[in-house]
Amino acid sequence: MRVKAVECRDVWMVYRNFMEKGVTALRGVSLDVENGEIFGILGPNGAGKTTLISVLSTILVPSKGEVRILGIDAFKNTNKVRERLNITSGVRLPWGMKVYECLRFYALCYGITDKNVIEKLIADFELERYRNTRFDDLSAGNKQKLNLARAFINDPEVVFLDEPTANLDPDIARKIREMILQTIKEKHITVILTTHNMREAEMLCDRVAFIKDGKIIAEGTSEELKRFTKANEKVIVGFKKPVSSPLPTTYPYELDENSAIFYVDDAESFAPKILMELSKAGIEIEYTKMEEITLEDVFIELSESN
Amino acid sequence: MVTKNEFYAIFEMLFWPLVTLVSVGLLGEFLYLGKNEVAFIIIGVIALSVVHIVQIDVTYVMLLDMWSMSLKYLIVSPVPFYRMVVGAWLFGVVRGTVSLTLLILLSSALFNFSFELPLAAAIVFTLGLFASSILIGIFNCVLILIFGRRAEIFAWTLTAVILIFCGIYYPVTILPEPFRTFGLLIPITHFLEYFRSFYGFSPTLQNPLVFGILETVIYLLLLLIVAELSMRRARKTGLVLKLSG
Repeated sequence: MRVKAVECRDVWMVYRNFMEKGVTALRGVSLDVENGEIFGILGPNGAGKTTLISVLSTILVPSKGEVRILGIDAFKNTNKVRERLNITSGVRLPWGMKVYECLRFYALCYGITDKNVIEKLIADFELERYRNTRFDDLSAGNKQKLNLARAFINDPEVVFLDEPTANLDPDIARKIREMILQTIKEKHITVILTTHNMREAEMLCDRVAFIKDGKIIAEGTSEELKRFTKANEKVIVGFKKPVSSPLPTTYPYELDENSAIFYVDDAESFAPKILMELSKAGIEIEYTKMEEITLEDVFIELSESN
Repeated sequence: MVTKNEFYAIFEMLFWPLVTLVSVGLLGEFLYLGKNEVAFIIIGVIALSVVHIVQIDVTYVMLLDMWSMSLKYLIVSPVPFYRMVVGAWLFGVVRGTVSLTLLILLSSALFNFSFELPLAAAIVFTLGLFASSILIGIFNCVLILIFGRRAEIFAWTLTAVILIFCGIYYPVTILPEPFRTFGLLIPITHFLEYFRSFYGFSPTLQNPLVFGILETVIYLLLLLIVAELSMRRARKTGLVLKLSG
């Protein structure tokens, strides 16, 4: 039987503080991630994404439930598991360390003394120019590159990336995504990625899970998840003047005063019919767009139905 | 390695120890203290400075990673807590040795302090101070793992509190009970008394060195167990995530 990269069964996490009532961050989360998969955990802020990957990466011990990483019980053989995984979460690292020193420090934490490992990571993540620059003096993009390089220092088989492109400029974010993909492709590793950027998830992930209020509300490939929605495509119509509900149409829609989104199975064939219905009612059209349903639409629909 | 590029690390090692030594030494001269009395208090100054430098390096295991919000990366690595602590302690020992040497040389030059210990006894005393420092450092780490960020203040205050009870500028015999007994439960008390016995001050207990070593070993073992348990507890309550940012 093939061992799964991550197996998580009925995991609960309750944050506790002295004399205070606990806060439940995870409520019976179960999921499986296959070897070599890029698995996305999506959800809004405060949904439990960071808590979930903190539990899966052994930083936190869950209040209840079982986690196995590469077939090993993560809380009975924690050190064995830790040798084979790594994580990035945020862009912070000790501010006074230079790029090379930082990688060397974390390499030593994994018992790695081979300096070639560090040199390769510096080259792979395009940090040669900054090897003697203090962490604090790096740009946000280079800080994230260094953090990613650190996450690959022990040649992990499973890597957890917590919002790897959050707060980065779009061009830097794209570069970081390319680097992640390139590294994953080279090393054949399993990646569990959290993000609230649905496009990023669609671009990078083989499968995704939606988390809300500490619960997984849906899981599957992008295509599978899109089937959860009422339609496959959407027609976006812009109005010349603000329009009030209800619209004179039989198709399901969302109205936003100056525009409406119609959910249909085939945008090309339904768009003319929608436009005709609207024109008959005297509504002046400014523009029309046809788009495929995105993960964001799925997430909004699932959130509302949950 | 983490504090290598930090100016404050050099400042901690040189500035405060020198300020304390000069001010206390001058106080001794003002009070016309005898050679042995001056030696008594200078030993206290040296001990205070060295213990503080070494313990804070151990405490930095938690503090620096907490401040830089990167504690999670240390936790997620397979390096056990005791190894992190010992690594930081060794760095502290290097810094402590530099400070110790400097303070002894300056004490001799400025206040005629003569280092009268045989070499073996001097080494034992120094090791005793270093070992006591790791205890304070681990204790600080435990406090942070239990109480979170609000406990970071102990990194700078705990040494002072402990040194009040272990008789830094006076023998513990002048302390009222129960503070006197409390003082005798601190290993540094015995190491200081051992050192001072070479200057004609008789120790409270007959074998201060044996008591000092025994207490150090027992506390070290206990603290390492408590630290592991505190780390597990912090991972269960979610405190480590708060400490990581």
